Amino acid sequence: MNARESTAQPSFVILQIGDRRFALPSETVVELAPPVRLHRFPHTSPLLAGVIVRRGRIVPVYDAASVLIGRPSSSQRFYLIARRQPNRANDLGAIAVNGECQLASGDVRPPGSDSSAWVAGTLELPDDSVEVLNFSALAASQPAASSESTAEGARS
Amino acid sequence: MRAVGEPGVKPRRAQHPERVILFYVSDYMFAIEAEAVQEIRSTDSLAGGAVEIENPGLAKVRHTFERGRQTCYVVNACVHFHLPITRPSLVLILRQLRVGVLVDRIDRMAEILALYALPEAFTGEERHWYRGLTYLDDTVIPVIDPAGFMSAEDFRRLDRAQKAATSSGELERVVTS
Repeated sequence: MNARESTAQPSFVILQIGDRRFALPSETVVELAPPVRLHRFPHTSPLLAGVIVRRGRIVPVYDAASVLIGRPSSSQRFYLIARRQPNRANDLGAIAVNGECQLASGDVRPPGSDSSAWVAGTLELPDDSVEVLNFSALAASQPAASSESTAEGARS
Repeated sequence: MRAVGEPGVKPRRAQHPERVILFYVSDYMFAIEAEAVQEIRSTDSLAGGAVEIENPGLAKVRHTFERGRQTCYVVNACVHFHLPITRPSLVLILRQLRVGVLVDRIDRMAEILALYALPEAFTGEERHWYRGLTYLDDTVIPVIDPAGFMSAEDFRRLDRAQKAATSSGELERVVTS
């Protein structure tokens, strides 16, 4: 691969949730935040675990693991902060991750017809292929098992 | 004080700090503008003047009380916020609104310098519940919108039910006398 090819390929941040890896387009990622306090308060929005305060901003945190691996994950302590929509710089959201993130480039295959709405494609890596996340679609997803009110659920 | 800026944007410091009352409902802390509260009473002191609603059409409102010549409604904040039911000890009687709110306890009064808009990610009932969020002593606290406790439709529905109950009671008294 020459330099021109390398710059032409989009880059992605690879993150791990549970035992699976996913990719987010790097241009949407703002920062990987260290473990900070997750603030919880009553609400009824699905998938939101609470908010964190980062650099003077209040950033909503999504319980992405409930959608991506079908269960909440307790091992995630860092927060990957990204733009929910690429063209809206101030519309941020955070996903709890385990802190092991890496930058990668590769070819992206379009999503299959049976893929979930939050799958933007599949990133082909030398040793693996990982699903590329569509953050705004993920944010609009419903948790895998959500029978109780989020307001009450936020207590756990 | 109004929420400043777009969600996610750092708020400007308000020119005038806002005094708020911090209170607890089911282990969660909330803030309400002090000016929005006319009186804080114990549930015991209110109990003598409170009337139970026979057929509550709204789960969070089970009692009424009179203030001046107006019927006011007692909102259970646990039910309103979908929280586990606790035993409230205080009633915040709101100014301008015919509402008393059952809460667990008052924490303290405080001044807030900034109000953050609720992030757009929050799309549920909380958009009616809160004016925004504030950050006080390293804690994010929702700032209540007093008008969010009961909608105009809630008032209409309960007023109709109260009127019907009063008429029914008067009719019963006429028949039995």
